[in-house]
Amino acid sequence: MIEAHKLAKRFGRVEAVRDVSFKTRKGTITAMLGENGAGKTTTLKIVLGFLRPDAGAVSIAPGRVGYIPDRPAFFPWLDGWAILGLTGARRKDHAPGNGRDFGASVLAAARSLLFDPALLRRRPAQYSAGNAKKFAYLQNLVFAPDLLVADEPFSALDPPSIKCVRELFCGLRDSGKTLLLSSHMLAEMERIADAFVVLRHGQTIAHAGLREWRLMRSARTGPDLESVFLRLAGS
Amino acid sequence: MPEPALLALTWRVTRRRFVSSPLALVAGLAFPVFIAWIGFKDSYAAAAKFFFFLLPHVFLIAAQDTVRSDLDSGALESVLFLGGRFRAYLEAKSLVLGAAAAGYAAVLFVLFSAWGVASGGFRPDFALRFGLGLIAGFYYMALAGVLSHFLRAGSNVLALLLVQAGALIGLIFSTTPRTGLLNYIASGRFPGLGPKLVFGSLVAIVPNVIVSGRLPLYAAEVLALLGLALAAQKRLTARLEIRK
Repeated sequence: MIEAHKLAKRFGRVEAVRDVSFKTRKGTITAMLGENGAGKTTTLKIVLGFLRPDAGAVSIAPGRVGYIPDRPAFFPWLDGWAILGLTGARRKDHAPGNGRDFGASVLAAARSLLFDPALLRRRPAQYSAGNAKKFAYLQNLVFAPDLLVADEPFSALDPPSIKCVRELFCGLRDSGKTLLLSSHMLAEMERIADAFVVLRHGQTIAHAGLREWRLMRSARTGPDLESVFLRLAGS
Repeated sequence: MPEPALLALTWRVTRRRFVSSPLALVAGLAFPVFIAWIGFKDSYAAAAKFFFFLLPHVFLIAAQDTVRSDLDSGALESVLFLGGRFRAYLEAKSLVLGAAAAGYAAVLFVLFSAWGVASGGFRPDFALRFGLGLIAGFYYMALAGVLSHFLRAGSNVLALLLVQAGALIGLIFSTTPRTGLLNYIASGRFPGLGPKLVFGSLVAIVPNVIVSGRLPLYAAEVLALLGLALAAQKRLTARLEIRK
């Protein structure tokens, strides 16, 4: 679904990414792990087309791509319904006014995320950080992407919402969608991910499927993903 | 040319922005109110002079925070603008803003012409002057668009107005040595290369002067500068990245 090959990106003197390569497979959840400043967000932004790599290439299979930023931001003069209307209009088969009940599907998606639909009449700039994050999920559900990329997918969410998002991810994977998640929440990632990419100092230092990962873990006698990650990261 | 769906999205976003901005609405309405006031206080002919000279400035109302504010706000880091679509959105935004400002200017021109026909003050050359005003207005928008890559919010327009004010104040304070130039401007004829270059520099900062219709060479200059500014804007947009 995604194939990144030898990505490199420099911001002035800072070499944010210098050799990142990985692949994700359709219908799987891939977790991208790394310490702060390892190059995860830069890599995601290259994958999504917000940044141009200085070297290397990314290819993504055809289909709709969705994105949940770490801290979602929206046009401050648009309310929730207006933003969802624009998003639905991008997905032509789901646009408001095409005969389907757009409002009902939005309300159902909002409830599945524990998002209060009354907030849709307000501007997302006025939402709490958690509700802004849930609204970003709602926007992506309206768009129904084939590939969903999320940067810190659980940040700002309360425990019940984390459970909902976890179930959402698993549901998307089970319906054949592909997910690439960048997170520091190793326990959550271990629960849901099928494959892992570990970055350090802008380089891929490990890239494994779940089976390989468990083998690595048993070989190193670490009790969980956290121990393996800390060993790999040299912490 | 951006895809029609993106133009429609851009139009919806931009329209909502203007509707929610009382400052833009007040600024947009202040111009016709001022022209009407001149017309009723003095004459239609005096109002016409102000109308055509100030018409290009209407475009500056629409030219505020076209790029940098959107980029820095994080709003373009959305599912709506993935895959480099945010660059196409910014291009579409320039087109939509230009078309909206031109549409508003056209409505004002129709109303102003109707007033002129009713009062007997309308002249056929007004159509030419309106066209020249549009060229100057588009030049303002393109210039403000380039500046908006570096300056946030409305500071791109503010920078333009400050440079204009500086140039005009400089011209006023150097009236004595430049009496010749003022005479040339009044007559529309510039003997020698020196006065031509000085006036050409002034036109690059205050393109409104071409609306008199008596300066075809300098109208061509503004057209050329418009082309350059659009090319610079396109080049800058193509290089944009969302780093925040």
